[in-house]
Amino acid sequence: MTDTLLFYLLVASFLWAAGLHGLIVARHVLRRVIAVNIMTAGVFLALVTLAARAPEPDPVLHALVLTGLVISVSATALALHLGTAAFSTEKPEPTTR
Amino acid sequence: MNFALVSLSIPLFTGLLLLMIPRYGGPWVVLSSTLSLAAAVASLVEVVDSGNQAVLLGGWPELLAIRLHLEPINALLLAFTALIQLLVSLYWSRNCRNDGFWALASLLHATLAALWLSGDLFNWYVTLELLSLVSVSMVALAGKDSIKPALNYLFLSLLASLCYLLGVAIIYGRYGVLDFQILSRMTVGDTSTAMAMLLMTLGLMVKGALWPLHLWLPPAHSRAPTAVSALLSALVVKGPLFILTLLWTRMAPMELTDKGGEFLAVMGVFALLVGGWCSFRTPLLKEMVAYSTVAQLGYVMLALGLMLQWQLRETLVALWLFVLAHGLAKTSMFLAAGEMQRIFGNKRVTALRGASQTAPVAMFAFAVAGGSLIGLPPSGGFLAKWLLLEPLFYDLQRWPLAFAVLLSTLVSAAYVFRIVTLAFDRAERGQAPSRDRVSEWLALLPALLVWGMALVSEPLILWLTRVAQ
Amino acid sequence: MMGGPWLFDIALGVLLVVLAIASIHARNLYAGVVMFISFGLVAALTWTYLGAPDLALAEAAISAGLTGVLLFAALARIGNTGSTPFTPRRLPALLCLAVAGLLMVTLWPLARNPSVLPGMAMANLPRTGVDNPVTGVLLNFRAWDTLLELAVLLVALLGSRGLRPTPEEEPVPWPLLTAWSRLLVPLLTLFGGYLLWRGGNWPGGAFQAGAMLAAGAVLLRLNGLLPEVAWRNPVVRGLTIAGLALFATIAALTAWLGDGWLNYPPGTDNALMMLIEIIATLSIATVLTLLVAGNKTELEP
Repeated sequence: MTDTLLFYLLVASFLWAAGLHGLIVARHVLRRVIAVNIMTAGVFLALVTLAARAPEPDPVLHALVLTGLVISVSATALALHLGTAAFSTEKPEPTTR
Repeated sequence: MNFALVSLSIPLFTGLLLLMIPRYGGPWVVLSSTLSLAAAVASLVEVVDSGNQAVLLGGWPELLAIRLHLEPINALLLAFTALIQLLVSLYWSRNCRNDGFWALASLLHATLAALWLSGDLFNWYVTLELLSLVSVSMVALAGKDSIKPALNYLFLSLLASLCYLLGVAIIYGRYGVLDFQILSRMTVGDTSTAMAMLLMTLGLMVKGALWPLHLWLPPAHSRAPTAVSALLSALVVKGPLFILTLLWTRMAPMELTDKGGEFLAVMGVFALLVGGWCSFRTPLLKEMVAYSTVAQLGYVMLALGLMLQWQLRETLVALWLFVLAHGLAKTSMFLAAGEMQRIFGNKRVTALRGASQTAPVAMFAFAVAGGSLIGLPPSGGFLAKWLLLEPLFYDLQRWPLAFAVLLSTLVSAAYVFRIVTLAFDRAERGQAPSRDRVSEWLALLPALLVWGMALVSEPLILWLTRVAQ
Repeated sequence: MMGGPWLFDIALGVLLVVLAIASIHARNLYAGVVMFISFGLVAALTWTYLGAPDLALAEAAISAGLTGVLLFAALARIGNTGSTPFTPRRLPALLCLAVAGLLMVTLWPLARNPSVLPGMAMANLPRTGVDNPVTGVLLNFRAWDTLLELAVLLVALLGSRGLRPTPEEEPVPWPLLTAWSRLLVPLLTLFGGYLLWRGGNWPGGAFQAGAMLAAGAVLLRLNGLLPEVAWRNPVVRGLTIAGLALFATIAALTAWLGDGWLNYPPGTDNALMMLIEIIATLSIATVLTLLVAGNKTELEP
């Protein structure tokens, strides 16, 4: 079982680094959002793999990842709304107040 | 402990109330921060009288529960947060044109309170994320110009969170514990711990805008609405800094502190010089104030680094004094800068020509706050800098650092006096700008408080020396 | 060692990495988003495989559902402009490979390093009032995290709301979709309710259920079957903050009248946690619906 875990930790490291790379080189806001999400997935994969060390999976780590998922979807939504507001190709609507 | 929790709950519930009924935001937030300040002071008195307190949430045993802990420093920071919030909301309730601000400001206050009280690595992650999202939302309140800086801030902040979270994952994988007080008894200097500390430090440095990871700060802080700039510079960057300090002074294993301290001290010196230089060069008024934040955070890093390298207690006291003095001075400076920007209708530094005649009180506030940033006696900034310099003089080996601090003082004097000399130039004749005297005085208030710190300097330093560990 | 299970592991891992890289670097952004959604589904599969069905449910709802819809909506407004594939440079790629290597070296020793916390959590689980350990951790052991997490969700909504992006032409609903959604939505609602109810004992819980409900609401909204969900409507506002408000009230009351912050009085844990879960589900569903399909043209209240 341990070898499988090592393999998944390797995948997690690669995902984190791939996301980091995307965040550094990509310019388009959507690509950057996706890159951040990939990095997040990398951390979560590391956490879930660590949770699977014991025969009984670690519920604390699962709960942490669940909390992290909610936070990550919140941040993604905010980033995409900001990105839409900043880079929208359509003409901005005249603000009426 | 209950007083501290009251101090946290009041802004939380105020924020929720203001979301339901978004009216009279200003008065509500002023009221809630006053009450929260009172509760925080009560908790400070309580903790000074009866010693450190901790509570395991939910009554679960150690390890399993999240532990909230209250020590004099946390209580002091609680009170400081409520005070800055009160000062800013007093000013902003005269000028605010956006109702969205108040609910977010209350939630920001509650978030910071949660951060000061927490002692759990993952809970800190959640509060840090909350802090970033609130700050980004507040920066974006300024409208079109601020959206790109806000987005950039969000991306860097997310990257930082992921570094921090990966560090937490490694720590959990290595020790199986998230409570930093328990960890402080367990940590050893192996590769995993070193890597985790490195990742967490990098993440917190980005979030705290510590040089060279500060690039998001100047655009975000200068484009935000004035009150938001003040809150961000005075309070928000201190959150990650607080965690960084606790991690390095309490949790880091002995083998790592030496190297970490050296790294932080060198980065601190660079921050002081480079940040000061950028502040001197920029043509925009608020950007100048924002770069000055980058420079001033260098003192905090330097103090932390020296503390780790030489185990000097005085520098830790200096660190907390810097946090307090910089918070108050920067609040005043941003409010005064925003006020003058409003009066003259121009964002550039050159617009301030003759400001000493056309907007005397706001200019005075700016200069007084600047005096504390330079470290002129007898301001709060002077106290902090003196405490930092004193141990440096004793040892010949430390003189280069002392020299760097003195040089940085010159740089900060340069960027403050650049504005002041401009303001004492003769005003161009034109129609007298419309002034709001009350808000100018409100902008001055925090600067007066930071000079007032000198009046209580001796008991303050003695007390901090006793409680800072 | 190269048996059947190993093959499956390798396939999953390679698929994850390939999809990840492809979704960031795809020449066409549309393809990138599709790849990202498939990445989410493979991740969900991986969670199941690694013994985390709770996460698999949430991941599927988030990546394939909400994030996907959000990405497509943003793509429709921003478009492909400025997405010209960057010139591949060697330095960042090499640096990131080095980072991956360094991380691997760090993570390597952790795989054989068991922790005491899971056993402790399991031992204390009977006292939490639920059987599902993840729910027990989320709503009892680490309830403070969950409370703050609800605040994060709320703040993301508040931040997005002030931005007022351009209104999108409401597309004419596709008739088949309209017909389907009349069938799908009750099913989603039912499934959401089921997830919530069973969260106490089996995988599932407030977030997964909220995401399901939100998916149903978004579906209805896209077909114009649901009246617009507007922030200015006090009921909607009340629903968005209800979860956090209730949780914080319970925390404050337990500190004031009971034994301490979030220390549920004995005997009431189960009821209180159920109440929090139900209200939090409604809140999460409302916030997510507003985030994905909220009224874009709305002004400040």
